[in-house]
Amino acid sequence: MADTALERAARRYGADATLGNPIRDMNPLILLGCVAALAAIAVAVPGWVVAVGMGAVFVVIGFLGGRGSGYLMTFLKLWAAVGLILFVLRALLTRSGEVLVPLGPIAVTTDGVQDGLRFAAAVMAVCAAATLFFALVPMRHLMLALERIGVSPRVSYVLLASFQSIADLGATARVVLDAQKARGIETEGSLLVRVRAFFPVLAPVFLTAMSATEERAIALDARAFNRRGARTSLVRLRSPRWWEWVVLAVLVLAALATAIGANLA
Amino acid sequence: MTLANLHDVRFTYAFSERPALDGLSLQWEEGRVHGVVGLNASGKSTLCALLRGIIPHFHSGELTGQVEILGRELSEWDPAELSTTIGCVFDNPFTQISGIRDTVFEEIAIGLENLGMPRDELIDRVVAVVRRLGIEHLVEKNPNGLSGGQRQKVAFASIIAMDAEVMVIDEPTSQLDPESSEEVFEIIHGLKDAGKSIVLVEHKIDLLAAYADTITVLREGAVAMSGPTRDVLGAPELPSFGVRPPEVVELAVRLSGDGRDLGVMPMTRAEATRAVGTRMEEAHRAH
Amino acid sequence: MPIELRGAGYAYPDGTVAVGAVDLRIGDGERVAIVGQNGAGKTTTVKMMNGLLKPTVGEVLVDGVPTAGRTTAQVAREVGYVFQNPDDQLFAADVRSEIEYLPRYLRWDESKRDDRVARAVELTGIGEHLDTNPKDLPTAVRKFVAIAAILVSECRYVILDEPTAGLDSVGLAQLTRMLDRLREDGIAVVTITHDMRFVVDTFARVVAMANGGVIADGPREAVFCDDSVLDRSRIRRLEVAQLAKDLALSDTAVTLDDVVAVIP
Repeated sequence: MADTALERAARRYGADATLGNPIRDMNPLILLGCVAALAAIAVAVPGWVVAVGMGAVFVVIGFLGGRGSGYLMTFLKLWAAVGLILFVLRALLTRSGEVLVPLGPIAVTTDGVQDGLRFAAAVMAVCAAATLFFALVPMRHLMLALERIGVSPRVSYVLLASFQSIADLGATARVVLDAQKARGIETEGSLLVRVRAFFPVLAPVFLTAMSATEERAIALDARAFNRRGARTSLVRLRSPRWWEWVVLAVLVLAALATAIGANLA
Repeated sequence: MTLANLHDVRFTYAFSERPALDGLSLQWEEGRVHGVVGLNASGKSTLCALLRGIIPHFHSGELTGQVEILGRELSEWDPAELSTTIGCVFDNPFTQISGIRDTVFEEIAIGLENLGMPRDELIDRVVAVVRRLGIEHLVEKNPNGLSGGQRQKVAFASIIAMDAEVMVIDEPTSQLDPESSEEVFEIIHGLKDAGKSIVLVEHKIDLLAAYADTITVLREGAVAMSGPTRDVLGAPELPSFGVRPPEVVELAVRLSGDGRDLGVMPMTRAEATRAVGTRMEEAHRAH
Repeated sequence: MPIELRGAGYAYPDGTVAVGAVDLRIGDGERVAIVGQNGAGKTTTVKMMNGLLKPTVGEVLVDGVPTAGRTTAQVAREVGYVFQNPDDQLFAADVRSEIEYLPRYLRWDESKRDDRVARAVELTGIGEHLDTNPKDLPTAVRKFVAIAAILVSECRYVILDEPTAGLDSVGLAQLTRMLDRLREDGIAVVTITHDMRFVVDTFARVVAMANGGVIADGPREAVFCDDSVLDRSRIRRLEVAQLAKDLALSDTAVTLDDVVAVIP
């Protein structure tokens, strides 16, 4: 006899939480450490080769984690939007080295190109690391890992709820926009017209959000949110495997080694 | 033990000029469904907030008078303990969903997690509640994408899972369509059968007539009438308190008014049908 | 100068059809109740009437002009729409400012503004609350403030979305008085509601919808005495009317008065 959806759900929650991928199932804090160590290496080693190369490493990890295509898009967009600007700014402002493109005071020099690449790649490595982390790990799992090491559930509520609030605000804004249009307040047309609609749209959205927050606090209180004492969790992250610790140790040591090496050089 | 024993309670919200509760006294027994009706701003929601301990802990103001809940003075109750002893569901389906869980199953589990229930027991309890309310088809859905009626059912499930002895339910159907409203009332009926004590504020007087054991009419922050449903909803003074009687009561009153008294005060369509049917037979035999 | 829907339908960008193709005509000063289950297309239909949604098939004409070429706000000044939740519309610091907002926005001269505001206030009975902050008023009164803010415009049609939800008997009486006055002034009223008592007591014409289409449009008897219409649109008669039917007293009783009349 086929399992009902309910039975399947109960079984799923009864087992350890899994996203179906060994990298994504790593303990979130250990994964965070690994990714941070890689970013540290990218920044510590001088020059641009390692920094750019690390970007490629992140993309590979993204694919290994099964989130490759989405992450690649984000990565490229990051470079296109931010990386490029950083590169150009740095390249144009560096004075030393052979001039490649004469543009007077903002001439492009060989040093400029190198510096620019280095600066952009280093910053991008850090951003890419953060983006990779959040592409691989759901906020919920990060919160669970934090709670396991003693972070208060209130903190995780605030963080998680904030993300949801943004979506809620968007939905409320759409309704309020419609309501004010339906009243005769013009919202389409020139900039001036739209600006006039600003306050009538913003105020109800804000007020609704405020009272919703208060009501939600009371609703959560009814779910024993304010109770002092031990909590349990439906979703259970699996315990970290031994190899996760090994990978973390290796990467952290490598990061330390490069940092020290770079300082000595 | 009495569910609630209130004597001469007065409460004024901070920054407010007029009292929301003004000399309110009532006594309610456990294990019953107590309907609360009255004009808007007659103090119904304030009364609910008081029973839940939201007043004076969340909403500050001046509170005087005696308030005893389940045999204990309100001031003696630990706020956290009170909120788990008295479950509450109110009218906004939107704000009763936490917003921080991805599936309905996880949403219902929140209260039990906070109570520190062991995981296996927790899962069993959620499964039981889901079955009881017939929401199996919703378990894997994202709570933030549900309709109003569905959210309200999930809100009920989340509170029922915590198995509180008492439920304070404030206008649960005001944003729901008739079908969802009836489903909610059936849930409430199920709770009563399970021996829970329920305080239910509602405008839908026809449904209330069918399910409530007692009715308390509030007016300007005090109790105008209180007693068994049949006595209160059949009383001629009821409309003067701004409460519209159930359709079948209005029918009986109109018939009585021009000499066609039914002999009973029906509370439901079934009772009215029987009463009118009897009259028809008598009229038939009289010819 | 009617509102006309000619084969008007609406489909969402993802392809879901909310309303198939509806033919409907709301004439001057008419009163129409649109009923049906949630998801039947009632809200979408009225949103097409006031220009919030432009039909994806067919056309909607207000006073002979298609809504397609006009902005929502332009149409809305002729076809007012009061949302179910007043908090979606109220934003001013006091009731007076709320109602005066549109006249000031449209730069009406003072006498016209004062005139229309006074009329809107009188119709909704909120005269004593003019200097109060809407946030400090009970929900029912806020509903009337939102209605007043719409009535202040010179709309010839008013759409009310669930006007009786959350109203007590005093509010209900105020609403009924207001509807009577609107009728005297020749303003058409369209309402979406689940409150069958309200429908039966106040509206002579009922439109029943189901699955994105109109399944009945006519006098209330045409809807409430037809079992197949009631079934398909999933709405019910009044309890007392059902009683009359069950006891085979009458197939045509719709209101309480009707039922009282047929009981021996």
